[in-house]
Amino acid sequence: MAKGKNRNVAIIGIGQTKHSSHREDVNQPEMIYEAVSAALKDANISIKDVDCVVHGNMELFEMIHQPDLWHVLGTGAYGKDSIRITTGGTVGATIACVSDNLIASGMYDIVMAIGFEKLQEGHTTGGITNMADPLWFRNLQTGALTGSTAYDVMQEFGEDRAKRASMMYRIIMDKHACLNSNAHRAFGLEFDQIETLMNTSPQLVGELRLIHMCSQSDGACAVILASEKKAKELSKKPVWIRDHITIHREETFNMFGYHQKYPVYKTHKFAAEQLFKRNDIKQPLEYFDVFEMYDPASWWGLDWLRDFFFLKGDEHLKLVENKEIMIGGSMPINPSGGVIATNPIGATALLRVAEAALQIRGDAGAHQIPNNVKHALASGFGGTMWTVLMLLEKELNW
Amino acid sequence: MALEYDKKDCFIVEGKLALPYSYFAGRVGSTFITTLRDKKKIMGVKCPVCNKVYLPPRQTCERDLTDIRDNWVEVQPAGEVINFTVVRYDDKYLPRKAPFVMALIKLDGADTPIVHILDGVSPEEVVIGMKVEAVFSSSPTNNILDIAHFAPKKPEKVYVSQRKVSAKEKEGGQPISDEQKLKQERRKEMSKKVIITAALSGAATMKNQNQAVPYTPQEFAEESYKCYKAGAAMIHVHAREDNGMPTHDHKRIKDTHDAIKEKCPELIVNLSSAVGMGKTPEQRISQILYVKPEIASLNTNTMNFSIVDRKTGKVFIDFIFENTFTMLQDFGKAMEENNIKPEVEVYDLGGLDNWFLIAKQGFFTKPYNFNFVWGVAGGMEFRPDMFMVMKHAVPEDANFTTCGVGTEQFPAVTLSCMVGGHMRVGLEDNIRIPTGELAKGSYEQVEWAVKIAQILGKEPATPDEAREIMGIKKQ
Repeated sequence: MAKGKNRNVAIIGIGQTKHSSHREDVNQPEMIYEAVSAALKDANISIKDVDCVVHGNMELFEMIHQPDLWHVLGTGAYGKDSIRITTGGTVGATIACVSDNLIASGMYDIVMAIGFEKLQEGHTTGGITNMADPLWFRNLQTGALTGSTAYDVMQEFGEDRAKRASMMYRIIMDKHACLNSNAHRAFGLEFDQIETLMNTSPQLVGELRLIHMCSQSDGACAVILASEKKAKELSKKPVWIRDHITIHREETFNMFGYHQKYPVYKTHKFAAEQLFKRNDIKQPLEYFDVFEMYDPASWWGLDWLRDFFFLKGDEHLKLVENKEIMIGGSMPINPSGGVIATNPIGATALLRVAEAALQIRGDAGAHQIPNNVKHALASGFGGTMWTVLMLLEKELNW
Repeated sequence: MALEYDKKDCFIVEGKLALPYSYFAGRVGSTFITTLRDKKKIMGVKCPVCNKVYLPPRQTCERDLTDIRDNWVEVQPAGEVINFTVVRYDDKYLPRKAPFVMALIKLDGADTPIVHILDGVSPEEVVIGMKVEAVFSSSPTNNILDIAHFAPKKPEKVYVSQRKVSAKEKEGGQPISDEQKLKQERRKEMSKKVIITAALSGAATMKNQNQAVPYTPQEFAEESYKCYKAGAAMIHVHAREDNGMPTHDHKRIKDTHDAIKEKCPELIVNLSSAVGMGKTPEQRISQILYVKPEIASLNTNTMNFSIVDRKTGKVFIDFIFENTFTMLQDFGKAMEENNIKPEVEVYDLGGLDNWFLIAKQGFFTKPYNFNFVWGVAGGMEFRPDMFMVMKHAVPEDANFTTCGVGTEQFPAVTLSCMVGGHMRVGLEDNIRIPTGELAKGSYEQVEWAVKIAQILGKEPATPDEAREIMGIKKQ
């Protein structure tokens, strides 16, 4: 159990690439270098100031052994302490948590977390399918394509309302992505396309359609973290990491929806309950100004709002239907466009932390939300139904 | 050892995954490949901060992340082998049929090496420091195989029409570098040198035949010193007990070796791996590895090595001198691995062919050094024609010396010296000088050998010159 920090830690530098389906013009270390140099520039420090580099991506997705060594030309880890971490889809969030812990422990003053993926180079199925026990059927949720949530939401709220809410969520995310110049997919969808898309987008699994689903992207993100002393010396707008929590659950690999008779404690809800309780946050929907959620599909994004914010009945649907999750709404979700727009997997969860921090700093540019952001939440998702949650604060006053 | 455990009821699921992938080379890597493919130019990038030239090129300098993607510099298509491995495992996915050489090659003008296939040289002959050049592919491959492979660098071709005057003339021929000139002069100089070896004792010559045969380490040291002063560069040693019996005792042999080196540090000490009659292979080689001399004898064939009356043909002592192929191989390998130069003892042409067979394994290092041994009862008598056959049979760049038993000693060394070989004398082979008188010691025979050399226009090599000729690394 978390014991609290030895010292405070803040984000002082953020960098990311433009994300896209292919990056033929750069190899992996070159692509990473774009994010690293942007983060160093943002923090106004040089690579010499960094004590430790934490490298993360999906295991085997690029078919590369020891990518952290090969990537040194881009990460700048030459002669430094460096750690590679791979925890599946959550890895981007995990490297942020680890970097926070490394500094809070007193081990290092400045740590750079780097998440990347170049999905066009590898074969994700090769990486994913290998992780199951082949004596039995492969774990059915492996690979994160599932129609079960769509089925559940439709069962609970009726087919038409559920489909409309899900597509509304999807179009809001696209509208956000259109404001984010780094986003991979920004189609320019309009709300009057809801019905057309509901019926015409190709089905992947049941009512999970292609348009609902996240992209496969190439991209990288680098976030520089520093101890309180260093952060105050170096940064005008440090973003404080208040707390984080990681919940992994093995059984969820084979969960196909939820039944009253056989309830499953969802990791998102469990993580949120634990984290908010120990930080004395009783009304999360009121407390947070923005939430960067790891939302791999719009059905999940819609459904998970209820888990993260302890909502009842159809409150989460209403948040979407009333566009409260849009920039300018009461609880903006993913002003960046989220994961459905941009998904370089090893970077994806770190991008949630980075984008949430940019919102606190007020530096998100065209997708900056208008009100003063003091408290932000970022989530990571991986494995299947695994959760990492991170609390970010503008002020050091909790 | 196989681990013993119960495998009953252990089921194995067999599976197979096909893993396709693409690799985006990036703009720096792409520029390298297209320049190589289209212009046959090998381009690196130079870091302006540390001045390092990286090949293969890269976008950033690893030291400080300096962006160097635009600092292209051309490097030479020739360079040096800085390390290599021999691929001996055959596999259909490999670029060559095994065995073949993969080398780390640092091209001239680059600071970092690239890995590539090195063709045109047998695995036995690759050495670190070897000069090599790129052989470009005749058709594009769009990868590093646009350099098809590397090959040993050929000397620059000079067309006859470009020659100003005959190449034989000293002046005005094709220009040669100072370094080449020095090397040529050195070679010419060294060809005048003759290495004189003194074999002080052997295993069979006793004090009752010649009082000067040394037994004790101190006697060996004294005799060696006299030979050195007379002109010998190398001493061949079979150590003895105080009573004169040949010994395989490590300590005694080391004491003998060390006594010589202490009295006369410059001398080369050549230890016998024959030792004496009735020694086991283990006794014969272990003492060499224990003492680690600079050079040691390596015998090439199993043969009669007997004492037979030269006049009557009566057999006094019959003895089989055992030198199997395995011993030739194992002793040779052990010596090479321990940086001990083998002196290959050749008693007849068959022995030389035995060595050629084992040499195919590739562990013998150049230059090779042979000793033609004449007059052993069981070997060959000295015949000048046969000597010339042996001389022509050894590799052209190998060294040879010779020794002969009894009255064959001086005719044999004279011919050797005359045709570019070296000379071994000493009481091991003969107890007399050419006048028929007993030699006062091996050193007196050395004095005679020096006279022969002088008559033939040669000079005795110093021990260091002998090391240079025989390829001995001083220890």
